[in-house]
Amino acid sequence: MTSVLAVHGLQRRYGAVTAVDGISFEVGAGEVFGLLGPNGAGKTTTLESILGLVRPDAGRIEIEGDADPARARAKIGAVLQATGLADKITPREALTVFGAFYSAPLAPQMLLERFGLTEKAHAAFDTLSGGQKQRLALALAFAGNPRLLLLDEPTTGLDPRMRREVQDHIAAIRQERRAVLLATHDMAEAERLCDRIAVIAQGRIVATGAPRELIAASGAATLEDMILKQTARA
Amino acid sequence: MSALAALTLLSLKLNFRNRMAILYGYLFPLIFLVAFWALYRNDPVPLALHIGQLLTITVLGGACFGLPTTIVAERERGVWRRYRLLPARLWVFIVSVLAARLVLLVSAALLQLALGFAFGMPWPAHAGALTIGFLFTAFAFMGLGMTIAMLVDNVPAVQALGQCIFLPMLILGGVAVQLESLPLWAQHVSVFFPGRYAVEVLQRAFTGAGLGGSFFDLLALALTGLAGAIAAAGMFRWDRSFAPNKAWLAVAFGMWLVVGAAAELRGQVAISRSADTQPVGTSRDYAPGAKSTADWHAVTEADFETIAFDRLPSDQGIIAPVSRSDAAPDPAIVPLLDRIRDGLPGWAPGNVADPVQRTRNLLAVAAVPDILEMEQVERFVPRLVFARLQAVIPPQDLPKILYWIAMHPDAGDDAAIHQLDDLGLPDVSGATKPVHARIMIYAFKLLGRLTGKIPPI
Repeated sequence: MTSVLAVHGLQRRYGAVTAVDGISFEVGAGEVFGLLGPNGAGKTTTLESILGLVRPDAGRIEIEGDADPARARAKIGAVLQATGLADKITPREALTVFGAFYSAPLAPQMLLERFGLTEKAHAAFDTLSGGQKQRLALALAFAGNPRLLLLDEPTTGLDPRMRREVQDHIAAIRQERRAVLLATHDMAEAERLCDRIAVIAQGRIVATGAPRELIAASGAATLEDMILKQTARA
Repeated sequence: MSALAALTLLSLKLNFRNRMAILYGYLFPLIFLVAFWALYRNDPVPLALHIGQLLTITVLGGACFGLPTTIVAERERGVWRRYRLLPARLWVFIVSVLAARLVLLVSAALLQLALGFAFGMPWPAHAGALTIGFLFTAFAFMGLGMTIAMLVDNVPAVQALGQCIFLPMLILGGVAVQLESLPLWAQHVSVFFPGRYAVEVLQRAFTGAGLGGSFFDLLALALTGLAGAIAAAGMFRWDRSFAPNKAWLAVAFGMWLVVGAAAELRGQVAISRSADTQPVGTSRDYAPGAKSTADWHAVTEADFETIAFDRLPSDQGIIAPVSRSDAAPDPAIVPLLDRIRDGLPGWAPGNVADPVQRTRNLLAVAAVPDILEMEQVERFVPRLVFARLQAVIPPQDLPKILYWIAMHPDAGDDAAIHQLDDLGLPDVSGATKPVHARIMIYAFKLLGRLTGKIPPI
């Protein structure tokens, strides 16, 4: 498997608190890798470190072998929590403008079609449904034709139908040989989408592997039970 | 299209989709202009003498309210957090926001000027200087706007803080209320507000000497903008969850103090017109040894010798000023001066049969702009009046009549004072005694010239 993302010994402290403590993992092309763990475990700090939004205290992050954060960001598409768009921007405008930041952007029309937003191409952002907004967020993450997608709880707050829609789009990414790093609290989502997962607790990876293998190895009945067991030990 | 251009264009589009932004950015400046036009409808030149104030209000509103409101609203919605994920440096986002804001400010100002022209406002005397002054003003207030944007967490706080800066600047800073209308203490306060420098530089560009004499004003605006930009950079945050270091405010507002202190050290802080309404004395103050005469025919050259011409106010002062013969009027007031010069021959009060009343009426044309403190206009009209008097009053009679009027300023009929609108000048309402006093001074001044007691300049 060709590694798109390689994280080695990542460490980040906030004062006396160590948010991420020596995390290492790799994500290959065409792989969906899940980060699971309780709130405050260090998932978001890990994602922000990969994006270059947070400067690690130690460790090395490489995107396709390149450790330069500025160059790396051009290869990453991201859906983070608590991000938004202006109320009156339209999906087509957002995709066009965001694409302008990349050297080889994907065509807005193609992204609108792919994420089912063609009919809403000229609608104001504040008139879109929650699912449409999240699909647009995914489409924007694709605007720069990224090699790596970082998705931080992309289905949180969506109803089941909308959640399934977004998950279908994430599942489809695997076919494109892109790497996906998915942070989620949704166990069903992790089981359905992730090829491998890393369970994080107190800033450390306490278990890594395919969801079914981890469940079997732990003797737990479900992924949730396995995670509760693993994080309780940490 | 580059990312910077695309983002700038997007900012402009989004602004035009926001009703409140249109209201504050375009409608309010026009309302201010109409209000000023109504308030100063008796101005000799519509709006021209207030355009510095109007443009400053426009920039102040757009840069100190509109700009931070946009940024803070976007930051609240997580737009800037989303921008942060893009592969671009911070300056791209900042420059795009400022470029879009500058376009909005310029377009609002052009719209305001267009309406002003429709009301009869003349073209700016120095368009290049006006452009430069406008850019400096925009820079100063956008720096301040960015400081506000980085300081506050939400839109209501922008409005609250903006008002705290906006209102004192309007009232005490010489922006909405003209400096000369303010008491001396307030004029000293005004030097600590950048609005004063904006008004001065813009007004000077529109009706004054252009950038001449504006170096300090431009420097004050540049330093204000620079300090604001530095403070904003120090407090910059992509996300409202990060608390700004408020110590940077000392840089932004400390510069106001520095600039104000520098202005105080330079002097020229007070713009006092209060002396202009003070009594200028009586004819006895200027001709203490004068004897009474039966009528103007009895006036002799010996009477002229009783006049202490050196006691008269200076031609270059603010009481009864007279322009130097080689001084060129500001282009903004040339149309009005042309109208007065061309209108005087047909002006009925200037052609009445009684030569004394005729002279008195014509002197009123010079006295009224003086008493109304019509800066620029007041010092050029007397020369037009003097020329007209010399054309319509026999040369052997004019000195005697002037002496007679100077010694009897309160005599005669005041009807002419209320017919000045025929010449494009406002009528004087209320007490006319101050006008009589200025008629007296101008009578003395012309008499001095005619008799060679006051050297021609």
